[in-house]
Amino acid sequence: MMSGQSKNISFDALVVGGGIAGGEAALNLATTGFKVLLVEKELSIGGKMIMLSKVFPTLDCAACITTPKVSEISRHPNITIYTSSEVGNINKIAENNFEATIIRKPRYVVIEDCTACQLCEQACPVSVPDQYQYNLVGRKAAFIPFSIASPKAAAIDIDNCILCGACEKVCPTNCIDFTQETEEIQISVKTVILATGFKLFDPLLMPRYGFGLFKNVITSMQMERELAPTRPFNTVLRPGDGKVPDKIAYVLCTGSRDASIGNPICSQICCMYSIKQSQLLMGALPMADVTIYYLNIRSFGKGFEEFYQQAKGMGVNFVKGKIGKIRETENGNGNLILRYEDINEGIVKEAEHDMVILSVGVLPNQDASGFFPKEELKLDPYKFIYQADSLISPARTSIDGVFVAGTASGPMDIPDSILSAGSASAEALSYLIQE
Amino acid sequence: MEKKKIGVYVCHCGGNISDYVDVEKVRQAIEDEGGVMLAKTTMFACSDSNQKEMVDDIKNNDLNGVVVASCSPKLHLTTFGNVSERAGLNKYNYVHANIREQDSWAHSDDKPGATEKAILLVRAAIAKARLTESLEPNKIVAQKAVAIIGGGVAGMKAAIELSNMDCPVYIIEKEFFIGGRVSQWGAMFTTNETGKEVVTRLYNDMIKRANVTVFTGAEVVTNVGSIGDFKLKVKITPRYVKEKCDRGKLQQAIDACPVEVPDEFNFKITNRKAIYHNFPSEYPQAAVIDMNNCTRCGKCEPICDNIDFSQKEEILDIHVGSVLMATGFDPYTPHDGEFGYNEIGNVVTLPQFKRMIELSGKKLRYKGKNVKNIAYIYCVGSRQEEGGNTYCSRYCCTSAIHASLLVKKKFPDVYNYHFNRGIRTYGKQESLYYDSSAQGDIYLQAYEDALPVVSWNGSKTIVKINDILTGGREMEVEADLVVLVTGMVPRADNSVGTLFKLPKGRDKFFNEIHMKLRPVETFIDGVTISGACQGPKNIMESVNSALSAATKSYSYVSKGELETEPIVAVVNPDSCAWCNACSEACPFDAISMTKDGTKSIAMINNSVCKGCGMCLPVCPTDALELIAYSNNEIESMIDALAHD
Repeated sequence: MMSGQSKNISFDALVVGGGIAGGEAALNLATTGFKVLLVEKELSIGGKMIMLSKVFPTLDCAACITTPKVSEISRHPNITIYTSSEVGNINKIAENNFEATIIRKPRYVVIEDCTACQLCEQACPVSVPDQYQYNLVGRKAAFIPFSIASPKAAAIDIDNCILCGACEKVCPTNCIDFTQETEEIQISVKTVILATGFKLFDPLLMPRYGFGLFKNVITSMQMERELAPTRPFNTVLRPGDGKVPDKIAYVLCTGSRDASIGNPICSQICCMYSIKQSQLLMGALPMADVTIYYLNIRSFGKGFEEFYQQAKGMGVNFVKGKIGKIRETENGNGNLILRYEDINEGIVKEAEHDMVILSVGVLPNQDASGFFPKEELKLDPYKFIYQADSLISPARTSIDGVFVAGTASGPMDIPDSILSAGSASAEALSYLIQE
Repeated sequence: MEKKKIGVYVCHCGGNISDYVDVEKVRQAIEDEGGVMLAKTTMFACSDSNQKEMVDDIKNNDLNGVVVASCSPKLHLTTFGNVSERAGLNKYNYVHANIREQDSWAHSDDKPGATEKAILLVRAAIAKARLTESLEPNKIVAQKAVAIIGGGVAGMKAAIELSNMDCPVYIIEKEFFIGGRVSQWGAMFTTNETGKEVVTRLYNDMIKRANVTVFTGAEVVTNVGSIGDFKLKVKITPRYVKEKCDRGKLQQAIDACPVEVPDEFNFKITNRKAIYHNFPSEYPQAAVIDMNNCTRCGKCEPICDNIDFSQKEEILDIHVGSVLMATGFDPYTPHDGEFGYNEIGNVVTLPQFKRMIELSGKKLRYKGKNVKNIAYIYCVGSRQEEGGNTYCSRYCCTSAIHASLLVKKKFPDVYNYHFNRGIRTYGKQESLYYDSSAQGDIYLQAYEDALPVVSWNGSKTIVKINDILTGGREMEVEADLVVLVTGMVPRADNSVGTLFKLPKGRDKFFNEIHMKLRPVETFIDGVTISGACQGPKNIMESVNSALSAATKSYSYVSKGELETEPIVAVVNPDSCAWCNACSEACPFDAISMTKDGTKSIAMINNSVCKGCGMCLPVCPTDALELIAYSNNEIESMIDALAHD
């Protein structure tokens, strides 16, 4: 491992966030010949996209189109990747001159030596919920994040580790190293791209929908995992009792277009991913009924409206109405009663479903606002990164030389994130060249 | 030929394949095939860890043939070819077998059958792998310059970016003025900058650059060549007015012109003369005489010295390595009678309405009458029944609501009634919908099966709807003005796309190769697409795509040299008798006639040929062969597939 002697390293660009936007921006710069440091908070790059099942409206398998990109990023000679790392601070000294502190957290595994044999996983006696499967199943404290992670190497979850040493004993390459410590690395760069992504709305903030209380109310990201090729149950089950659901409801605008929970804007992706999931469910469970409760269906992109019509044609039931409240039935069968206003008929109704998916919205990840102690990185009214010239230079932020890519500036889908990343890398390129 | 040592990888693709195909059984069935040295299964062949394993396998075992049985080659042929290259094996020794799209997904109802088929498909790939040969890419010189077709916001932004990267740019704009559609708009979401301001900023930045050349009144008339080497002929229509022109005298000349025609810039709600300029800040700042309508009466000539009827049409030759399309869109034109358009007097389109807001003084008036009640009818020309425009035009909900906010701000006594089909103010644009509701706008909604009806009752225009937001109640509004919220359609004259043989999607906009992986590239190498010519977009989205396209176009030309695929057709001069059948079958104009001594034979242009194979079956003398898909290879695959 590089340490000690290698402090104060310089790169041309610092890209914060290794999701699809950050990765694309890093690749564009690296291909043009610039040296890039890609900093990712999680154990693997690939962001949220690598966790998805399929993507709308092409129904490409998300893993199949993300993994090669991830592979290209991770082996590019001009890209250095720090996973499990965060930005401490970034100081602008002058134009084309930024100094940053990167905090590298210990993984307790030497990535280069790990063969991902999973013996440590088998030996570890600790089981905790698996955050990469959105808590649908458990994992060990010594674990490989997920099967298509990059780097594909074990990590020790030190918060839950009981320090029994079982993993160390079985590791054939002796790559587990409990002496690793947090490192602070000083770097200098000429430009910064913020691709810090978004957060999902936490439905615990809406107790009336019963998430966390009723086991068969899950989030759309959990359903994404149930439908993914690397799915935990190998089929679609409701978590309460393992029953295959046959009357499924989607609750759109959970945490979006709702000033009462502090997010008045539309999340731009939930209509489409719910329609996509409904189509996948119709394929996986041909006998199941799927109902989507919506306010407006926003299928606005290329091929989206046709995709919506296709779902209707497949028999997905669309009901215009906002869900007021969800409760469990009293007979203990785990089914759920949805109370809603049927807008077409103008009356309040109730409907029973055996599984409910909350189509949770996109919230800002505000991490980046703390990166700059001396400059002001402005946020917009919704706490996304403010676009200083949104019509002509959408990637510009309030700090010259700092650009924004992907959902860090607002909700957007994958094609728009990729175009936004192309835009950010182009502006960064111009900034680098004109130094 | 050296004996082949082939490695075979059968992919689970998570469960995409292994849910239906017994991949272990496939592996066992082929591991003893001639030439197969190792056979493995893998969870995700494309994952980083497996790619590394493949590299090690190839190196450690000296493999000289590799087969991966996985998804469509459209996704991963290149991925695994590159894996081979990284292991030191020429990528043309890699053969891809598609057992997902062509097998597991297609036969999910027949698992044993799917497994059988997978075995045969992998055997066929192995048969081809036994015969593959190493190939080297064709190298061509790339002209370091880019032609941008269209001088709207997308085109200008791309030009500035390319200029920053020290790449010469030619902007070819069909109109006499730069700025495209944006120059026609007033204040815009989100910044409330006007279209004029946005265009001014971009134009001033662009025009000062020595490596950007702007042509107006210019049209590409022919295109010869291909990636790295496009030779364009550009027709320049003269303005008949010299650029340096005394403004006062010019205005007298305009006043003297007796011809009046509808002004396209204002979507025909006003008239202009045959000699005209758009508005005080048009770019370039020079007037033009519209020769299609000029009667040659000569009244302007004696007033203004700079009018010059002797100017001649010019044809320029432009030589570039890449072409970036930024040709934009047309607003949908409703047909006569569609929601009363052209039949009821006070029905206009959204673009016309936006010009009206711009041009109005203290009162909002239309055809001499004050406007108080405005009815907006959404999705005109969008989300139509099959056969029409089935797509959503993306920008119109936001644009119409933004216009309704502007009109209310400028004329507080108007009332806005929005007859919509579900408002789609996606993302942060939702805030406009909120503001509009807060200012008292009324929203009424219908589904596609019961659209609102616009009628004239002899004295008033009535818009009627069964409003689903009030339980289907019949509502009507007496409208002083009906605004049809028209969508975006491809340019009526999209012949420039045909010139480059650009494929179009089912919505007739230019089509990208892959929406997520290659959103600005087209099937025609060297030609990128940006902005609304690819599909409806707002300004920010157009700019993002323009910058992405500029980066892509730059990558084609930056090194001065390009590598193209060696998989092309080759002609056997002995058996070719030049009957022209191949040249007629070629969709890319890659085949022409040449002389071999005195004999006429076919010649393939390697940088244009895409290796599609269309020419092969039409050749009566079997004189054509496709490299890497020779008769020998294909026959060996057929034998493997037909053999039980």
